[in-house]
Amino acid sequence: MIRLDNVSMQPRGTGKPILYGLTLDVPQGGFRWLLGPSGAGKSSFLKLLTLGEQPSGGKLSILGTSVTNARRNSLTQLRRRIGFVPQDYRLIGEWSVFDNVALPLRLRGAKKDEIEQETFSVLEWLDVARLARHSPRELSGGEQQRVAIARALIGRPSLLLADEPTNALEESQARRLLFTFQQLVEMGTTVIVATHNEMLVREAPAPSINLRNGTLDRSDFA
Amino acid sequence: MSGPISPGLRSGSLPVLVALMTMLAGLALAGLTGIQALAESWNTAAQSSATIEIPTDADHAQSRTDHLLKTLHETPGVTDTKLLTPEKVRSLLAPWLGETDDKAGKPPALSLPTVLIVRHEHGIDLEAVVHALFPEAIIEEDMRWSIRLQRLGRSLVGCAWLAVSLIAAVAVLSVGITVRRSVSAQRRAVEIIHAIGATDRQISGKIARRAAGLSLLGGIMGLGALAPILMFLARLLAPFQDQNAQPPPPADTLAAWSATLSVLPHSLLEMLASLPFLAALLGWLTAQSVVLVWLRRLP
Repeated sequence: MIRLDNVSMQPRGTGKPILYGLTLDVPQGGFRWLLGPSGAGKSSFLKLLTLGEQPSGGKLSILGTSVTNARRNSLTQLRRRIGFVPQDYRLIGEWSVFDNVALPLRLRGAKKDEIEQETFSVLEWLDVARLARHSPRELSGGEQQRVAIARALIGRPSLLLADEPTNALEESQARRLLFTFQQLVEMGTTVIVATHNEMLVREAPAPSINLRNGTLDRSDFA
Repeated sequence: MSGPISPGLRSGSLPVLVALMTMLAGLALAGLTGIQALAESWNTAAQSSATIEIPTDADHAQSRTDHLLKTLHETPGVTDTKLLTPEKVRSLLAPWLGETDDKAGKPPALSLPTVLIVRHEHGIDLEAVVHALFPEAIIEEDMRWSIRLQRLGRSLVGCAWLAVSLIAAVAVLSVGITVRRSVSAQRRAVEIIHAIGATDRQISGKIARRAAGLSLLGGIMGLGALAPILMFLARLLAPFQDQNAQPPPPADTLAAWSATLSVLPHSLLEMLASLPFLAALLGWLTAQSVVLVWLRRLP
């Protein structure tokens, strides 16, 4: 589960906290929409949960690991249990699509056969297997987004975070992705999805974390 | 497991830099070996000999000299004696003093001493032995020269080691700068891999292995470039190893190369052969350190 207790976040070298006074729990296997206007702090919130930034105040616990003042090594293990679909995809342009998606498995020391099988399986599911040997630079925005989703899903994460994961997808693909998220939740994965896609939120009503000006506006937990 | 788990090293001119450093290190080591050999030969030549001057105008000089010679031969620790008669001394000094008056039948203008050159082991009191028989004799131990030469030799060897160390330091700096630039240029990729859960060792390991490989390649290239210079030195050295030997013929086969290089001290050849591996080790250690320190800035 995820637990925030009066958490604030102030990036180094800045004078003002981006997030503050965040207190909430998300149970294991829970699904949450992360909502709020642009500049509300959604991406910063996800950065906090992907361990891209340390909280500057309060207590943060992710999947049973206290992040506040945690040792670097323990955070590395925790990162492997988190899947993240960034808004800007964050793919490595010098590598092939296959190598980008296979990275989480390789970091865990998976065997070559397993890597091959799992990677092609997830690429096929997202309809980008034919692009496996291409560089992400050669792909369209939608294709890159699907590759980023594949990389986030391949390690079967305990926590899946997605920042606008459908903004470059067609409607049918967005619905399919939503269905996948729901399946993951049923398997016990905690999923938090930041979106502006109101149609998607209407189709899958779920509790939401609402942010405004860096703090909780309204949280509605199931 | 195959395939990338970390960004590679953008090598730039690393192999060429390491090749140049290897060449310089090889030359410095060759110089060091030469200086060490020279210092040792000075040391052994000077440390165990003494010069005894016996005035020829002393009473019974001839018979006492003979007795002294006999006594020295029987003294434990004396390994060799060489007698230079006044005539021999005069002939040796002729280039400086001019022809002697022998041909004219006149007495010599200078009263030259009989000279004894004695080689001996450490620890014997030569002065006591000589002065017991010949108090007028003047003894000059070459040991004090030996001490001076040893000091000079040690200083030169120290300078040569300093040169080798400076070259190693410049090599480490070159590798460090290249690795740091490479990691900074690939910052985004490193951050992505770090965020997905790569350990610092996984990221630094690949970069360090690549740095080691490129340094090894540079080291081999440097040795290759050094080979003609070593061959030249070996051909110059050959006559000093064996005065009757002719300079070896130009090496156009591997066996001829090997024969020519065998003139060089084995210790030098071993050190030179180890240079590429040393360069690889330095490259690996430097890259590991630089990347691990760089990664500390990530959360």
